Parts: sequence; C-alpha cells; structure tokens
Amino acid sequence: MIHAVLIFNTSGVPRLTKFYTPVHLSVQTLVQKIFSLVYSRPAGLCNFLDAPELEPYLAQNEEGERWRVVYRSYATLYFVFVIDGAESELGILDLIQVFVESLDRAFENVCELDLVHHILAEIIQGGLVLETNVDEIDNAVQVTAKLRKDSYAASNPLALGGGLAPRGSNLQTPLGWLTGKLTGVGAR
Amino acid sequence: MWERTLQDLIRGLRANKADESKFIAKAIEEIRQEVKSDDMVLKSGAILKLTYLDMMGYDMSWASFHVVEVMSSPKLHLKSVGYLAATQSFDQDTDVLMLTTNLLKKDLTSSPTDIALTLNGISHILTPDLARDLSPELIKMLTHSRPDIRKRAVLVLYKVVSMYPEVSSQVISRLKDKLEDPDSGVIAATVNVLCELTRHNPENYLALAPPLFHLMTTSSNNWMLIKIIKLFGTLTPYEPRLVKKLQPPITDLISTTPAISLLYECVHTCIIGGMLQGSSGDSLARTCVSKLAGFIQDSDQNLKYIALLAMVKIVPSHPHLVAQYQDTILASVSDQDISIRMRALDLVSAMVDETNLQSIVQQLLSHLVTDTSTSTLPTAAQSLAHHTVPTSPQSAKPSFPSPSASPAYRLTLSQRILQMCSQNTYENVTNFEWYLSVLVDLAHIANVDIGAQIRDQMVDVVGRVKAARRYAVKLMFTLLSEDAILRNAPEEGSCSEVLWAAAFICGEYCSELVDPQKLLPLILQPEVVNLSPDIIAVYIQAATKVFGFWATEVAQRWTDDDLHEVKGIVQMIIERVGPFVSSPHIEVQERAANTLQLFSFILADLNAYRPRMTENALDESSASFAESTFSAEPFFPKSLFLIHPLFSSYELNPVAQYAQESVPVPEGLDLDAWIVPPRLEPMENGDKKEGGKGKKKQQEENGNGYNEDELVTLTPQEAEVETEEERVERERRRAERLERLRDDPYYIMDKIPRNHLRSSSYQSSPEPFYIDRVGEMPTGAISAHVSGSSPSSRRSTPVPGSPSPVPTRLSSGLSSSISSFPQYEVTDEDSHPNTPSTPEPVKVQSKKKKMTGSGSGSGKKKRTKTAAAVLSS
Repeated sequence: MIHAVLIFNTSGVPRLTKFYTPVHLSVQTLVQKIFSLVYSRPAGLCNFLDAPELEPYLAQNEEGERWRVVYRSYATLYFVFVIDGAESELGILDLIQVFVESLDRAFENVCELDLVHHILAEIIQGGLVLETNVDEIDNAVQVTAKLRKDSYAASNPLALGGGLAPRGSNLQTPLGWLTGKLTGVGAR
Repeated sequence: MWERTLQDLIRGLRANKADESKFIAKAIEEIRQEVKSDDMVLKSGAILKLTYLDMMGYDMSWASFHVVEVMSSPKLHLKSVGYLAATQSFDQDTDVLMLTTNLLKKDLTSSPTDIALTLNGISHILTPDLARDLSPELIKMLTHSRPDIRKRAVLVLYKVVSMYPEVSSQVISRLKDKLEDPDSGVIAATVNVLCELTRHNPENYLALAPPLFHLMTTSSNNWMLIKIIKLFGTLTPYEPRLVKKLQPPITDLISTTPAISLLYECVHTCIIGGMLQGSSGDSLARTCVSKLAGFIQDSDQNLKYIALLAMVKIVPSHPHLVAQYQDTILASVSDQDISIRMRALDLVSAMVDETNLQSIVQQLLSHLVTDTSTSTLPTAAQSLAHHTVPTSPQSAKPSFPSPSASPAYRLTLSQRILQMCSQNTYENVTNFEWYLSVLVDLAHIANVDIGAQIRDQMVDVVGRVKAARRYAVKLMFTLLSEDAILRNAPEEGSCSEVLWAAAFICGEYCSELVDPQKLLPLILQPEVVNLSPDIIAVYIQAATKVFGFWATEVAQRWTDDDLHEVKGIVQMIIERVGPFVSSPHIEVQERAANTLQLFSFILADLNAYRPRMTENALDESSASFAESTFSAEPFFPKSLFLIHPLFSSYELNPVAQYAQESVPVPEGLDLDAWIVPPRLEPMENGDKKEGGKGKKKQQEENGNGYNEDELVTLTPQEAEVETEEERVERERRRAERLERLRDDPYYIMDKIPRNHLRSSSYQSSPEPFYIDRVGEMPTGAISAHVSGSSPSSRRSTPVPGSPSPVPTRLSSGLSSSISSFPQYEVTDEDSHPNTPSTPEPVKVQSKKKKMTGSGSGSGKKKRTKTAAAVLSS
C-alpha cells in the first residue's frame, strides 16, 4: 500500500504531507531527511530514493523488504510517495503523473487551499488507490468542489467568492500557491 | 482579535520569514480563541489553519474535540474541513474518536457526497472499536447504488479487516462478489484490497484464484492487471497447482504487453511465485533474466533500478543465468546514482562465489580508495573547496558529490565487503592471506566506524585458519609498527580497533615471529595511551605473552651475555607499564598491576642472578652446599620460565557455537540442590536479623565467612544440643538488641508477622536457576523488581541462605558504605511515612546496610560470640 504522500518545494517546505500509516518518529524529521536526500540528487538519476542514511527511517517487513521512496519532481515541487512491496514501482510513477495532471486540471477554477487534499482523496483512500483515470478524478473533484461551493454560498448569501476565502477576490490559485507555475508537467 | 483566513496566515508566514516562530506562536494563540467560538465558520477556519500548521510540524492534538465539532457540521464545506483535519491529525490514541461513532453512522446515511467524505475519513481514523461498531454499516455500503461510493466502501473494508479481523470471513465473501461488480472501478478497487489482504495470510484467499484468473485473462486495465499479477505472486507459493495454470498466460503477457510496468510485474511474479522451477520453468527463467538484463542496460535509470531489484530474487535459484551478466551488474555498482549502487550491491552480494569474490571485493575496495584520496586530503584543502563552491556560478544548485563520499554509503560498502567474505564461515574465501590483507586495507581506507567488525574478523580468521597465522602475524606486526592508525586513534573512522586484533594476534601467536622482542617497544610505546582502554589492556597482555615466549627462547640458548639485554627489556616493560597502574580503567589497571608484579619479580630474580662462572668461583669454599644447589639450579635465571606457561598451557581454539550447551552435567551434580539451604524455621524465628548480618559479615571477612554460614545452617540441627542456658542467653541478647534498636530509624520492629519476611526472601531467591539469571540480568531490571525506590538495594539484598553472594561482595568490596550511606538515609526516610505498611524487603536491607556502616562493630562481635557459643557446645 501507499504509506505516505508528500509534496514539498525546492526549499524543503512541505506543501502536503499525508501519512496513511502512522510513523513512530517525527514526521518533520522524515520529511527533512527525504528532502535533503532527494534535493541532492542530480537530474537524470532514477526516481527511487535509496540511501543508507534513510534506512533507519523506513519500516521493514518480515522478509527484510523495506518501504520504498518514489519521487518525481515537477518545476519547483517534489512529489514523494512512500510505498511497500504491494505497489508496483513503475505504477506509482504513473500514479504521481495522474496526481499531477489532476492538480493541473483543477488549476483553472478553484480557490480552496485544501483542494490538494481533496484531489488526493479522489485518487487514494486510506493508502489504497481509489481511481487512476484522470477524467474520473477530475469529474469527481469538480462535483464535490461545486457542492462545497454551493454549501458555502447557501450560508453566505452575500459572499462573492467561494470556498473558505471570503476576501479572496484576487487570490492566488491553489496551484499558484503550490508551485508558482505548473506548466512543465512533462518534467521528471 | 481579528479573524485571519488560511490565506492570511500563509501570507503572514511569507511576510514574517525572519521571525516565523513568533508569528506562528501568535497565530496559534488566536486560533486557540477562535476554536472556542460558537460561530462554526470561525471555528472551522481556525481548524483549517491548524491543519496547515500541523503539516509544518506544530501540534494540534489539543484541538481534537473541536475537530469533531467541525466534523459534525451539517454544511458540507465546513464538514469537509473537519474531516480533513481528522485525517491529518487523529491517530489510534485520539480519545475523542470514541465520541464519533454515532456521528459517523449518521453521516453514512446522509447524501452521497457526505458518505464519500465519511468513508474517506474512516479509512484514516478507524480504530478497532470503531471497526467493530461500524462494520455492519460499512459492509452495507458495498451495495450502494453509486459506484463511487461502492469503490470507497470496498477500500474502507481493508481497514476494517485489519482493525477487526473477526469480520474477515464475511468481508472476503462480499469482496468476492465485488469482483463481478458492473463498475470496473469497483472491481479494480476490490483487486487492490485483495492484493493487500493476501499479503498477510495468503491461505485464506486461495478460493479467489478462479475469478481473479478470469479477470486476468479478460481485462485490459493495466493498473488492475499489475495488481492481479502481484496477487498471484503471493498466492502461488501456497498453491503449486496455480503455477501450471498461470505459466501460459503470463508468458503470453511477457511477450505481448507494451506496458513495461506490467511486463516487469509478470517477470517479478514468475520469480517470486516459483514459476521458474522444473523443465517448463527453465525457458521462462531464461526469458525473465534476458528481459531484466535488457532493463539493466537500458538508458532509463528506473528500469535499471527495478531490474536489479528483481535480479536479486532470481539469483538463489538461477545463479548461472545471472552470472552471464556479471560485468554489466558490476558496472552498476559504480553508477553515479546511489539508489542503483545500493541495489547493485545487494545483487552483487547475492551472486558472489569462490570464483568472483576477489574481483568483486577488489572493485568495491577501489570505490573506497579513489574517494579516500580526495576526502582524506588535509582538511584545509577541503574547507577551501567548501569556500569556493558558493562563489562559483552554479552556487544556486547544490553540488552533487559522488556517492562514495557519503559516510553512510562507505559504511554500507565496508560492511558488505566483510559480509560477502565471511558469509557461511568464509565459504567463498580461497586465499586467507588475501583476505587478511583486504582487512588491513579496509582498515586503512574505510574512513568510517567499521574497526570493531574488522577486528572481529581478523581474530576469527586467525583463530580458525591455522595456516594463515604466520602471514597474519607478519601483517599485524607491520600494522603495529605503522604509526598512522595509532596517531589517528581518537578520531572517528580511524578503525583503531584493528590494533586490538593486531596486538592480540601478535601476542597469542608470537611463536611465529622471528624476533618477538622487537615487538615490545612497539606495543609499549608511550603513544599507546591514546588508544581506548580495551586496546591498551590487550597491548599489555600481548607484551606479557611476547616476553614470556621470548624469555623461554633466550633461556634455552642462554649465554650470560643475554643477561644485559633481558634486564634491559624487563626494565623497559616495568617502566612503560608503570603509568598504567594508575589508569582509571579497571581492566587496564588490573592488567598493568599484574604485569608489573610479575616483572618486578623477574627483575629481582635477574638482579639476584649470578653468572655461573662467578658463582662457581665464589662458592668454592662451601663446595658441598654449592654443589647441591648447583645441580638443582638451572644455568639461566629461573624466572625466564615464569610467564610462558601461564599462556601456553592450552591452545586457543575457536569454540563451537553450542559447545557449552553440550557439556554434560557431571554425574552426582544436582543443579537443583541447595548449595546453602535456606534456614529452617527455628532459626528463622530465633533471629532473622542476625542471619542477615552474618551474611553481610561473611562477605566482609572472607576468612571465616564459610564458618559463619555453616553455623547458620547447622544451628537448627544442633538445636537439641543447645543447652537451656544458652537458649536463655540467646533470648536475652535478642531482647536486649531489640530494645536497643527500637528507636533506631533504620530498624523496623517486627510488628509484621515473620512469615512476611520469609516469604519475601523466598520470592527473591527461590531456586538456583533464578539466581543464575540474576547474574545475567541488567542491574536496573532486578533492582526495579525488588524495590523501585532504592537503586542500590539489590546489592544489599542478601537473602538469608542465598547461594549467590556476589552482589553483596560487590557493595562491601567497593567500600561503598560510606559514600552511598547518605543516599540510603534519604530514600528510607522517604519511604517510611509514605508506605507504613509496605512489606519489608527494603527496610530489612537498610538495616543490614546500617550494620555494615556505622553499627557493624557490635553486630559483628555478637555474631562471632554466637558462633563460638554454638560451635563449642
């Protein structure tokens, strides 16, 4: 299963941390460790992070198989998935791509800061993959976003914007906040 | 207080980069106010901000209750904030989860969006209790009309089963139905869940093989196919008949699928599912290995990585196939990517054998070497390099050091080298002289903290391989004569531990040395003091051994001209060992003291020695006397033979792992019999405390301790012999003492029935094997068991009749009574008012302690008197 999904920027600031399995150490330490290791890897290396320094942080099953850290970087963001042997390594690379494309689709018309979480919740639930089809994901995201917006509008009839941002007329979009720019989706 | 939204918070964070913690402290203070508000909007806004801060590492567990409040909001946009906060911050121990059962049940009957939100939330926050209470509702969700709800319900059941296994059989049968769901997404989710569940106990899921097999042959969804293939990889080891069935379709997939991820999973499943055995498996194995080899050579680093992963698993069964690609694999060990290096290292360790060990190890060593040449350059150059990097144009990007520079990697590499060579007791090593030189090289170049392991290997090899000893001793002599390691010993990564091995080997096998005495100045040079104490101790011991051997050699070809040299060396040893006598480390101190005494004796003997000629001349007058002595006296100083027999009586051999266990218990030895029987009832009643005192004294006065004990045990038997007078006398003394001690705070008067004491004493030392274990247990564990309050109580818990006096001897032997006595007062006085009726072990001990301390004099005297009285009667 997927044990964690992390997004952080090139300064190591976490943009999203989601742990599907509780870790018995400081989440911050783990994130910082992964960041420092990922950040020091030049482009062109593989997307799996293996390092002796990291091993003490990763759980191990009875057969000695450790969790694996799979990451991709897009523009100024790193997407990191921590998985175990039940997931396909290459499949997860595709899943990260699905996640990023779904974020990209939602780019246009939403302005909730917790949107990234909501999008992730349409792809992964409790560490298991829920949906891999970008259209389906996008559709579900749109529907629930609209429902949240309606719910907000119903209780704030005078508000102009949506979501939880009453004064958000010229707000950055979540992905603007997330990355600044997410045009280079094809990047590694 | 003005409300900020999350956006405001983030903007604020950006604006206050310099003083972030202060800004956040203020923000959290505001949030603390806002969550208490009755306004749900304000509350949820606060929770959302907290969730963001939680991600940054700020605790929000204090707000759990407010999170539940927000979760219970009927408005979707607020509710989803609550659920998000719950999934981010709740764990198994969050106590408010107990309050959520009804809320969750209610939300599960709400609108589809609410249900989806709830199911997603439950997947995170489920506890065993919640799983039990919610499982009926959650299972019911499997038949919801909307596929997106069914999908989520399927996934949530994985959590339910893992939290509450009682429902698993029910869930499995429902999941089996879901494999035929009209919605492909639901089927895929079901396969996902089954793939997870199967990993835990595959036997339970064998019945699912037929529908899964059907799916595998009909579906074109690669995501799902990957999972099904993975699932079969787990199942086949438990159902060998599946292998035959799966081989054709999987072989087919391998040759047809364009999706590399699926292809890889097929290959992987073939390997782990045991499909490569037998004649039919052979060609499949060849296909798999050639596919993987293709991946390793691919320019895509990811394929290289996973191929190495799978290769490791195929090596045990098909080493010959993998061996064809040895060169490619070895090249990967030098890859610039540490991830690939690590996996290649795994693979290389798995494929090592007699023929390739040397070349592989040599290559791994070269990794350490090339990099050491740069990293062990004077640190000045390094720091200079550090300074120049930021000013260079690429300063924006970090410089990427070679993986070999990372200490953690160097350590792993070094460990791997040792492990490869030593596996199965050096199965693959054909030339031990080579291996010993590898060990020495490694010690020089590793530059990480691996010295202890190298040391153990050296000693082990030399102990097990007799033929390598001569070479080893020569090599170790060189090692001891180099001053680089000795000089760097205090630094980390110096591997100075190998000097331990070097000194031990040279000392133990010094007969292999040509001029053993030349070693002495080396291992006794003053710089040795830089080494760690355990190494110094070995050095001193080695010096003694070397001298012992050399001295006998000299003695055998003795000429009086040797006297000068021998004397010189003995004096040198005395002089160099001398300072260690005052070493703060007990082991060094003891060895030094031993050595010093032995050599002082030798020196005295040497000084007393008169060369034969002179002796003859002198003794002419008393010829008869001289003759008799002369024939008995050897013609060399006798003391030259003093030391060698101390070490050479037995050959030092490696001991088999279970040797100790297989030593039979000698006939007539009953391990369960009391060595010192517990005292019998009359004595117990007669004088409990005296027994304790006697015990204590026994340890203090080694001489008559045994008598004392005998007295203690003999008394009851001789009770009939005790005259009336003596009995009266004893009673009188006892009453007297009780009177005297009544006001002594360290004595507890026997208001508690005697058998309290006895039972406690029986508990602490019931059987011999328990006491055996005491010896091995860490101190903390025992003292915690006997009495939590006083750390040193165990030492003074000599139970009457305890056959294990060692701890007691420790306390008195270290003359700790003075220094530790005040502590006792404190702890004891503390325990008095608080625990007036606690049973007594602690107090009995403190009494004894007291006796050893100030009041020991009288106690002792009395005891002796009793002893005398009883013995005389």
